[in-house]
Order: sequence, then C-alpha cells, then structure tokens
Amino acid sequence: MNPYVIMILISSLGLGTTLTFASSHWLLAWMGLEINTLAILPLMAQQHHPRAVEATTKYFLTQATAAAMILFASTTNAWIMGQWDINQMSHPITTTLVMTALALKIGLAPMHFWLPEVLQGLELTTGLILSTWQKLAPFALIIQIAPNVNHSLLMTLGLLSTFIGGWGGLNQTQLRKIMAYSSIAHLGWMIIVLQTMPTLTLLALITYIFMTTSTFLMLKLNQTTKITTLSSAWTKTPLAATLLSLTLLSLGGLPPLTGFMPKWLILQELTKQHLPLTATIIAISALLSLYFYLRLCYAMTLTISPSTNNSSAPWRLKNTQSTLLLATSTVLATSLLPLTPTTLAMLL
Amino acid sequence: MTPTHFSFTTAFILGLMGLAFHRTHLLSALLCLEGMMLSLYIALSLWTLQLETTCYSTAPMLLLAFSACEASAGLALLVATARTHGTDHLKNLNLLQC
Repeated sequence: MNPYVIMILISSLGLGTTLTFASSHWLLAWMGLEINTLAILPLMAQQHHPRAVEATTKYFLTQATAAAMILFASTTNAWIMGQWDINQMSHPITTTLVMTALALKIGLAPMHFWLPEVLQGLELTTGLILSTWQKLAPFALIIQIAPNVNHSLLMTLGLLSTFIGGWGGLNQTQLRKIMAYSSIAHLGWMIIVLQTMPTLTLLALITYIFMTTSTFLMLKLNQTTKITTLSSAWTKTPLAATLLSLTLLSLGGLPPLTGFMPKWLILQELTKQHLPLTATIIAISALLSLYFYLRLCYAMTLTISPSTNNSSAPWRLKNTQSTLLLATSTVLATSLLPLTPTTLAMLL
Repeated sequence: MTPTHFSFTTAFILGLMGLAFHRTHLLSALLCLEGMMLSLYIALSLWTLQLETTCYSTAPMLLLAFSACEASAGLALLVATARTHGTDHLKNLNLLQC
C-alpha cells in the first residue's frame, strides 16, 4: 500500500482513539469509535486475500452494530433523562445497553465469537493493533460508565470471559486464535474488578498490552502462526524463543514475571471485598489459560535438540526487522514485578 | 414513553433483529444497519426539534455523514467479498472458523 495512505490511516486511528478519550459527550465519543473502525478497515484488508476480506467484513459488521447500539442507548438516555454526558448516564436500561454494546466491541464473553475469527484472518502487525490499540477507546468509555452499571451484569461478563477464554483456547493449534482467547480471558479479569477498583483495571490493561505486544512482535520476528512452525523457532533465534516462552508464562500469570502483578492485586482486592467465591473461581479459571500457554512453551523449549522433533528446520535468513519495540516490550513484559510497590503507590 | 420515542425505538429494534436473525445476504445486513442509523437520525432530529435548541442542530447532519461513510465502507466490503468468495451469502464466509 502507498505509504502516504498508510500514514493517513494510522493518524486517523490515533485521532479516533484520542477523540474518544477527550470527549465527555456521547456523540463525540461515538464519532471517535466510528473513525477508529473506518480507519482500521483498509489496514485489515490490504492483502486482497479471501481470509483477510472475510475478517474485515466480520469486524465491520460487529463494530458497526456495537457503535449503533451505543448511539441508540445514548439517544434514549437523552430522551428520558435529557442528559448527554458520559459519566452522568444513570438510567438502568441505557447503562446495561451501553455496557453490552461495549462488551461486543472489545469481545467479552457472550459476545466474543467474532474475535478469534477476525484475528485469525489478519497478519500479525494488524492483529497487534487490533488486540492492543483498539481496546483503549472502548475501555475509556467502560471506565467512565462503570459506577452506574448493574453489578451482577459486570460480574457475569467477567466470569464468563475468564472461563470461555480458557476453554476456547484449549483446542486451538493456530497461534492467533490462541492469542484471541487469551485476550478474552484477560478482559474478563479486567471487568471483574471494574467497580471495586478501576485503577486495577487500568493496570491489568497496561500489563496486558505490554505482554501482547511482546508476543505478537516475537511471532512476527519468527514468522510463525502455527504451533508446528513455533517448535522449530529455536533454530533461528534461540534467545528469542526462550524469551517468548517467558513472555507466554507471564501472560499465564506465573510469579516472578509481570503478568503475576495484576492477577495478584485483583485477587487481593476481591478477597478484601468479601468475595472469596469469585476470587476462587477466577483463580481456577486462570489454570485453564495456563494450560495452553504451557503447551506453547513445551512446543518451543522442550522439543529442542536432544529430544526428537518431527518438524524440519527452516532456513536461517538474516533478520532485517527493527527490534527496538520488541526488546522494550519484552523487558516490560517479563520483569516489571519488582515495581509493584511503586505502581501501587502511584495508583492508589 | 412518548409516541415518537416508541416509534424510533421500535424501528431501531426491528433493524437490530433483522441484522441478528436474518443472516442470508450481506446486502440485507447492510440495509438493516442503514435502517438502524436512519432511525437514530430521526431520533436526534426530533430531539433537537422538541427542545428547540440550535446548538444541537448539527448533530443529525454529523450522524448522517458518518452513517454514509459507514455504508460506503460496507458496500466496498460487499464488492470485495463478492470478488473473493463469489457470492454475498453470509454462509459462505466460513474460511476462518474451526
């Protein structure tokens, strides 16, 4: 694609999210979301491949429906309450409708069916944008309306997301689908703690973005989209394969790595709010996700040289990609846990 | 609930139902989306008229502009899908599921 066109699309992508961040009026927030959707569609369909076009169509249909529902709910709110402000929205029906629409937009559990299929049809860079940058604008709205949303709706969305994210990923061999289910599970963790402590939601979102960026860039470095090609990644870049397995364990939430921090704090907050059953259930559902991360780690690190390996070794070509962002995000994704006290002091 | 409120709510919900349950052609999905946006246009215009505020009178125009952009993107995707998949049947969009 023409670099000028790509520049325009990327800047509109930034503009849409910034507009949603900056707005306190529902119409402007809706416009930001629409600009965002319209800007990413050509990026998704830039390879005229049947799978890319199909993913773009599915993405367009879900996002347009969600945006229309958001505007419908805010118009209804304006008719009933005479109020267009985002954080003043208080009518129970309209807040439920907006929360459902935003859950459809980010792919929370009962509305998640589009996310794995769309992510599977994209190339890795666009998939990275879809699973990090595109979550920010809906989350800005979710955090603003969160105090007025029905509590049991949020709990149901969160619990269902963590479970379906774990269960759905178990049977997948395609890495992008696994990343999509991991995204669903992480979003569930963020939604669970939304009403009791929204800063923890932001913390979980930020750490999720670091870990996902690192994983997607590492997969792009190795040009792998399947487990079978991942198992021969160590012949090309042995250190990167080791770090990728560490990043995956961080996504799973194992203690010395960054991913443990949000899970730890969320479980502590739930215990503090006298919700031990919810805390136990999401802690157990994290094991489901951990299974497929561990399987990826097994394919990457335990199938190296002394043990037998059925896949053929690929050519070792010289790497020409820029790795600055990869290095930064990998360091952030694996070693931020010692910063927990500072983060807590900053956030709380 | 006033009669106008009831009528645009019903129009929007009918559009949404059509989009959600009548999944044969991509074109009919796009038409349902357009119907939803037009019911929202009527809602916004009537709200402006009812309150007689001039500062909100640009809002329905902005909505119409954005929904036109959205419809054109949808039609472009319809053409792209017809070129790659051969038809616009939604049941043919099954390459990515497993």
